[in-house]
Amino acid sequence: MSNKLKPKTDPGQQMIYQIRLKGHLDHKWTDWFGGLTITLEKSGDTLVTGPVSDQAALHGLLKKVRDLGMPLLSVNHVPPGQIDASNIKK
Amino acid sequence: MPILNTKLYIPPVQPKIVHRPCLVERLNEGLHRKLTLISAPAGFGKTSLISEWIESCKSPTAWLSLDEGENDPARFLTYLVASLQTIKTNIGAGVLGLLQSPQPPPAEAILTILLNEITAITDKFILVLDDYHAIDAKPVDHILAFLLEHLPPKMHLVIATREDPDIPLARLRTKSQLTELRVIDLRFTNTEAAVFLNKVMNLNISEDDIAALEIRTEGWIAGLQLAAISIRGIKDITGFIKSFTGSHRFVMDYLVEEVLQRQPENIQIFLLQTSILDRLCGPLCDAVQSNSNASGQDILEYLEHTNLFIVPLDDERHWYRYHHLFAGFLRQRRQQNNSTSKRYEGMMDEKELHKRASIWYENNNLETEAFHHAAAANDIEHASYLLEGKGMPLHFRGAVIPVLNWLASLPKTALDAKPLLWVMYASALSMTGQITGVEEKLQAAEASLQNVESNDKTRNLIGHIASIRALLAALNNNVETIITQSQRALKYLHPDNLAVRTAAIWKMGLAFHLKGDRTTAKQAYTEAISISQATGNIMINISSATFLGIIQESDNQLFTALQTYKHVLQLAGDLPQPAASEASLGLARVFYEWNDLETAQHYGQQSLRFACLLENSERIVPYKVFQARLKLAQGDASGAASILAEVEKSVQQYNYVFRMSEIAVSQVEILLHQGNLTAAEQIAKTQKHPIIKARVLLAHGDSSSALAILEPFRQQMEEKDWKDELLKVMILQTLALHANGEKEKALKLLGDVLALAKPGGFIRIFVNEGAPMAGLLSDAVFQGIMPDYISKLLAIFKVEEQKSEYAIAHKNTTSLPTNQTLIEPLSQRELEVLRLIAKGFSNREISERLFLALTTVKGHNQKIFDKLQVQRRTEAVARASELGLL
Repeated sequence: MSNKLKPKTDPGQQMIYQIRLKGHLDHKWTDWFGGLTITLEKSGDTLVTGPVSDQAALHGLLKKVRDLGMPLLSVNHVPPGQIDASNIKK
Repeated sequence: MPILNTKLYIPPVQPKIVHRPCLVERLNEGLHRKLTLISAPAGFGKTSLISEWIESCKSPTAWLSLDEGENDPARFLTYLVASLQTIKTNIGAGVLGLLQSPQPPPAEAILTILLNEITAITDKFILVLDDYHAIDAKPVDHILAFLLEHLPPKMHLVIATREDPDIPLARLRTKSQLTELRVIDLRFTNTEAAVFLNKVMNLNISEDDIAALEIRTEGWIAGLQLAAISIRGIKDITGFIKSFTGSHRFVMDYLVEEVLQRQPENIQIFLLQTSILDRLCGPLCDAVQSNSNASGQDILEYLEHTNLFIVPLDDERHWYRYHHLFAGFLRQRRQQNNSTSKRYEGMMDEKELHKRASIWYENNNLETEAFHHAAAANDIEHASYLLEGKGMPLHFRGAVIPVLNWLASLPKTALDAKPLLWVMYASALSMTGQITGVEEKLQAAEASLQNVESNDKTRNLIGHIASIRALLAALNNNVETIITQSQRALKYLHPDNLAVRTAAIWKMGLAFHLKGDRTTAKQAYTEAISISQATGNIMINISSATFLGIIQESDNQLFTALQTYKHVLQLAGDLPQPAASEASLGLARVFYEWNDLETAQHYGQQSLRFACLLENSERIVPYKVFQARLKLAQGDASGAASILAEVEKSVQQYNYVFRMSEIAVSQVEILLHQGNLTAAEQIAKTQKHPIIKARVLLAHGDSSSALAILEPFRQQMEEKDWKDELLKVMILQTLALHANGEKEKALKLLGDVLALAKPGGFIRIFVNEGAPMAGLLSDAVFQGIMPDYISKLLAIFKVEEQKSEYAIAHKNTTSLPTNQTLIEPLSQRELEVLRLIAKGFSNREISERLFLALTTVKGHNQKIFDKLQVQRRTEAVARASELGLL
């Protein structure tokens, strides 16, 4: 859990993560993922992408995913600049 | 701490399940190992399988369903004991008391006591820990690892979890002490899926369709269950299956949608709204619902009947909960309903739902849950109110983790706006042993208090802050700070704030006691006793009363002290109570002083019943000193000496000056009794206690130097008003005066001594001085000084004399022959263990008899074998006989 006494991290410095799940979740799930972007892949996977404030937040997110039984395929750190529109498929 | 029985409830076997005899067989086969681990994601039937197994297995079973609250080790241990009590009433009752005492011992000591009690359970039994993934605190993982390391042979542990626990599993695997069931074992096979769908759920699905469902769900039981529920009552089964298997959508997401859609709208709304509740009962659902045209109880029973993922939590059909997986998806859907276009009319938003739940729980005196929902509703005002708990804050009652989680989630501005919250934060943190963050929170509290106008509440907070600082100082043994902060606390705390006042007074008493100001300490303890009686805080009552007894004893008021100690034992009750060990020791000392050695021995043994609590701590010193002095009085001087030698060695590392002094004073007495002046001199060189020096000087015949040392020391004792030490000094002074040829003075002083000693009935303090004292007393009788008292003492001298003559005459048959033919003699403890080995007791039996952990006994065995230079028990016994040790 984040410690609210420390100054918030600068959004420009937040780490971008991409989580790959097996099975499609529609866009109504965005809120549940804290506003992260949902991308559905033809393979049947779902990509959840976006900024995560720190390690604790990342682990919290993975725990939520685990508790709903969603099979976790991969977790990747995305270096800044690699996300663009062509990655998004419908 | 209130215990929620629903957490101990053994889930009954659900009516509509597939029986899994192969898995049950594997579980049965694993019973002889230590641990069964069932590790798989949610929805693979872990709990159902265990229930099925337990029902057929016939072993007594204890169950504990864990949640995040058990990350607090004290709460984990409390619930552990509560679950074991469902198998054996009153087991661990003493342990529960210890957990609430003002100075709780380390978790491992508590576990050792509990494990020794568990060893008394004669039938093989099972303990199930369900949802272990809720635990992420290292201290609790350590408790579990310790439990597994020392698991009693009749106990079998089952852990069900969604992630592998952080304990040494690899070691258990290599030792074949582990049975594991994982996803691959728990998935439904094709056959099982077919049985489930067609036999159990009575559907009529073709083989191909079953195979398709099996592939789509990958044998995920929860998925197949929901699929079956969706399929019930639809006509075009194949069509449904085609759509389902043709979709990429995540299985649960798809099926929960299907199942929900098919329910009447009011049921859908019910499910979504009540999904915020961790557990449900009819009246609670009614309170939370907005449009109740059907009663909550009716709907719950309907859900149970239609098998819609609702699980009963008791036999009375009162409490239920949703299957965790199902609840998770319902919550996501409800959240969706909030933000996107509202699909359901009349559904309340989440905050409102939580508020209503909070009110219901509060009205039903379930304050921790009321707090949980107020926090979830982001109702800071109300959550704070509940947190305060009308003077007994929630984190004092087992809710440390939820309280800390909530406070950590609040922004700084919210905390600054309510200084109470900063104080509660510091208080809760100090309870978890995370001391580093505490001072900063206290300072934040003080900073935010500056902007608030002074009133009763703020004064109370200032007092509470001071009491937390006293606690921090106590951890560092910083006596002066404890005193100043406790006094400050008592000045500012509200008179009605008994919970915090009690702790502050008790600490203050301890601090004054440590400082040597017995009078003030006595007042503090007396007050602590009366307040703790008012609040029902038995543990502080016991601790304060025990220390009061110790002060009365040191004031030479032996009869009063006796009453006080007996009262403590009464308070502690019939059950073996570790917290009362010091009171038993006090009784032992008093009876020793009155020369009732048998009773003294009885209480001495009783006090050591929970010796494992004191092992590896300097607190064991008074117990050992008593044991040694008793042995000396019983005529076993060398036995007494080895006890003290052993404790001196093990306690040296702590460097507590006054403890070492305590040991040395008795050591010198023993050595002089044995006539070993050289060794006594050695001790006198390093130990500066005046009594030690004076005794050695007297033994040398240098009575005038002895007097020169004793007089200033006596004045010191008079100034400090340390009556016990004063009595001892005066006795030595009479002997020194007599040796110095000042008989008149000696007899006059003896008269004063007797007058001081008579009210307490002192005997041994005279008898221990041997022939010189006997002579003086005879002379005193001739002068008519206190004839009754002296005759009594002289009679005892006579008996002692006869005993020691007998002992000298029968030296070869006394219990302790020489240990000295060994290069390194066996210690007292090792001799005890060896004797039990010779009698044929197993290590386990020895550990029970001596109240030690099994590993400690094994450690002693190894030392014994090393010292005797043998490899096994039979050789050890033989060699020991040869040496005349047995």
